[in-house]
Amino acid sequence: MVNVTADSNKPQEKTVNMSPWAIARRKFFRNKLAMISSFFLLAIMIVSFLAPYITTQDISRVNIGQMSLEPGGEHILGTDKAGRDVFTRLLYGGRISLVVGISCTALVILFGTLVGSIAGYYGGNIDTMLMRFTDFVLTFPFLVFVIVLNTILFGIVDGLWVLIAAISLLSWGGVARIVRSKILAEKENEYILAAISIGCKPSAVIIKHLLPNVLSTIIVQATILFATLIVAESALGFLGIGVPQSIPSWGNMLTASQEADVLRNKPWIWMPPAIILTVTILSINFIGEGLKDALNPKSFR
Amino acid sequence: MLKYTIRRILGMIPMLLLISIVVFLLAKAMPGDSLSGEIDPNNTDPEYIEDMRERLGYNDPLPVQYFNWISNFVQGDFGKSTRYKMPVSDLILEKLPNTVFLGVSSLLITYILAFSMGIIAGRKPYTIGDHIIGGLNYLGLAIPSFIAGVFAIYIFSFNLGWIPYSGSVDIRLTQGTFEYWMSRIHHVIMPAIVLGALSTASYTQFLRNDIIENSRKDFVRTARAKGTPTSKIYNVHILRNSIIPLVTFLGFDIATIISGAIITETIFTYPGIGQLFIDSVFNRDYPTLMAITMMLSVLTLAGNLVADILYGVVDPRIRLD
Repeated sequence: MVNVTADSNKPQEKTVNMSPWAIARRKFFRNKLAMISSFFLLAIMIVSFLAPYITTQDISRVNIGQMSLEPGGEHILGTDKAGRDVFTRLLYGGRISLVVGISCTALVILFGTLVGSIAGYYGGNIDTMLMRFTDFVLTFPFLVFVIVLNTILFGIVDGLWVLIAAISLLSWGGVARIVRSKILAEKENEYILAAISIGCKPSAVIIKHLLPNVLSTIIVQATILFATLIVAESALGFLGIGVPQSIPSWGNMLTASQEADVLRNKPWIWMPPAIILTVTILSINFIGEGLKDALNPKSFR
Repeated sequence: MLKYTIRRILGMIPMLLLISIVVFLLAKAMPGDSLSGEIDPNNTDPEYIEDMRERLGYNDPLPVQYFNWISNFVQGDFGKSTRYKMPVSDLILEKLPNTVFLGVSSLLITYILAFSMGIIAGRKPYTIGDHIIGGLNYLGLAIPSFIAGVFAIYIFSFNLGWIPYSGSVDIRLTQGTFEYWMSRIHHVIMPAIVLGALSTASYTQFLRNDIIENSRKDFVRTARAKGTPTSKIYNVHILRNSIIPLVTFLGFDIATIISGAIITETIFTYPGIGQLFIDSVFNRDYPTLMAITMMLSVLTLAGNLVADILYGVVDPRIRLD
């Protein structure tokens, strides 16, 4: 066996000209708050998605013998008013909240980028029309229309997808606006003119040349959106309108706090989802700040 | 300025039409009779339903139905609530004062808190005070309002007993007396703070950054050089310039308050439009639901209009395009 020494062809470390992504990565890794938040978020995601392997308790079965047990013993965080284990529901709830958050963010970013880049690239009448439409969607009061859409679609499609569709349908406006303004500024550059003059198709110009240059903005937007949309989902769940009550989500678990008795005397039922939700939102925000800082070439930290 | 205002108002009309069409179509998509509420949902006799549908004009072509609905709506006839068996307009009028009171108190508290915190932080940036205010802001922006509300009730109502946890007034008091108004303020203060937390945080942040930026400008150096006291520089010269952009936020606040009120009123069981809205969802009271949807959409649009016009007032460059 030949043991090749890696030293000979090892790339020179700390090359003078690092790529922008390498610089951003280094800046992000040095940001302690953002790194701690990333690890925390990752841990939450892993634990939530592995929920079926971590606990064996049934999440939906009502157990009258074990109603409103205080934390301790067999149930680490106690049980709720229907005798279901709070810890288990917390894990499963995280799964739903994160799935809704991630899929809404993906849909919103996809659609917003599509509309924004087409409007920004073509300009003229197409731009005016698409942006008027975006303005129109943005004037809808978000919560009001999500609730109305949810009420109409409820029962026609599976509950979770109704929620994802309704939230995504009303949230893409902001992304479209930002992407458009970035594309407008970017397409004035000469490399775009060069790409067009050698005969690139518009789709190739947008995807291969324009989007990579506005990607940093989109990434930062996606992080902010992720936090906002998780909040939107849980707010709807809290109001009792979002995900069907039979499926636990962090928002659904908080609905219990609307009963004065639970709120006053049984804090172990509503405090865990409230705290975990707040900490998750905070950590996503910290990651967002870290990314913004790291991707901004003008910041030296 | 007048020309600009008129242009803005005219520009709003197509938006208003489009929104009303969307609300109308949504109402048609709702199960049952959600436009007028005249059909009794408990009577399932097909002959009765068909008779009522014919009488209410539901078999007319859609544009005719839309036109009838919108002309009724403009005249203040919002249909009849299927749950309370009374005109929706009366129902809304009954709850509206509470929501307006909540919104105005929330705005007042926002302005008072944001101004005092923003000025303190902006005047002495990068000190302990500034960092504490910065941290509070961060929490205000990150913590969802319903979690803040739930914790507020748990801590201030149940554990400390400072504030009531539900209602808008102590019902034993007679209307119009001094105690009555004190009780209303007592009931509204916590929901108003929770409702205004988000705007307070963003205002404070904005004001702080703007004050810091302005304090580096030439006119401040001139004022210092001619011996103007520091407090006067900050409170008069700088503040006046920093307030201008804040004015434009007022319009957007209307939209924030509308969406926020739905959540806040539910947490604090405060009887207002937001609670009526949520109740109507659960009671399948669709005429009420759609009337409130239409009303809130129009209000949001009006808020955007106010923001646009105020923008033109404070920044003359906007008026030109």
